[in-house]
Amino acid sequence: MNKDKIFKLAKGFRGRAKNCIRIARERVEKALQYSYRDRRNKKRDMRSLWIERINAGARLHGVNYGNFMHGLMKENIQLNRKVLSELSMHEPYSFKALVDISSNAFPGNKRPKKDSSSIVA
Amino acid sequence: MAATIPASASLSVGRSTSNPASSSSCPCPATALPRTFFLGFARFPAAVAKPSLGVASLPSRRCLRAHSQQQEQQQRLAVVPREQRWMFEESEINGPDIWNKTWYPKAADHISTEKTWYVVDATDKILGRLASTIAIHIRGKNLATYTPSVDMGAYVIVVNAEKVAVSGKKRTQKLYRRHSGRPGGMKVETFDQLQQRIPERIIEHAVRGMLPKGRLGRTLFTHLKVYKGPDHPHQAQMAIPLPIHDKRIQSSM
Repeated sequence: MNKDKIFKLAKGFRGRAKNCIRIARERVEKALQYSYRDRRNKKRDMRSLWIERINAGARLHGVNYGNFMHGLMKENIQLNRKVLSELSMHEPYSFKALVDISSNAFPGNKRPKKDSSSIVA
Repeated sequence: MAATIPASASLSVGRSTSNPASSSSCPCPATALPRTFFLGFARFPAAVAKPSLGVASLPSRRCLRAHSQQQEQQQRLAVVPREQRWMFEESEINGPDIWNKTWYPKAADHISTEKTWYVVDATDKILGRLASTIAIHIRGKNLATYTPSVDMGAYVIVVNAEKVAVSGKKRTQKLYRRHSGRPGGMKVETFDQLQQRIPERIIEHAVRGMLPKGRLGRTLFTHLKVYKGPDHPHQAQMAIPLPIHDKRIQSSM
């Protein structure tokens, strides 16, 4: 690749990596390798983010992620994790309905009674 | 993706019901509306950019070829079909697509002054279990809007820090070490000695070990406020009691 293309790709790099061709060429090659790898990693990262959000949302209703998904699989609900995470954030009543379906299908852990709440100072 | 929700769960919550029978948007009024399975409508420019959109692609491509030049310049907006317009607000109809993209918090979603403040009394609570609950709330992992790269958590005040409990013989045997950087500069203290000297440091040390290490972790750590006695200077924040679901956190001794 000629120098102009390298410098175009090197915009925003730190220090000499955006100005000097020898350093920029190395950094741009590395950047392209990273972007190749991260296009595949992004799919993994997004899925783990969805799972974390579903976990948090379900725990608000007393069910953890594992039992929740098990209940959904038993009921053959094929909503994917992206949709479930968006529901847990923006459509709380729909998500509560899903949690109820899941806990009916697979009881799992019951919510402990709130007798050990903290004391106000 | 097909969504097979049983009839009992299909609440009428507008746009979130994945109804396979709802029509998608194809801006050519002449052709029949193709069906998509996800959230009721397909994105207008997306059908051009990604031809492999499954069912919606073939009829969309035919009718969109005529408008292909206009689409390149068009912004990526969501298109709401005419019969569903009543369900959406003005900003949603003309705004960007929020139904097919994962939500990411904007600056307005995590303003420091609007965060929740929690208060916790550490009297006779097991150190590690308390620190774990505190760290979860500071990081924001109890919220459905959790994002690892953004500070979405709450502030936590701990009072009566000198009364925190540990089980077993840890009171005399647990060691806190620090090193000054010079050779032979290791300083070792037991739990008891540190509690006499600086009791707040015990809880701070425990919570810091449970928060992420890095720039964001250091900012999160500043959201923890630990105090020795039963009072704290944050009366104006009107802190609410921290909800604890761990049954074994209260020491029986």
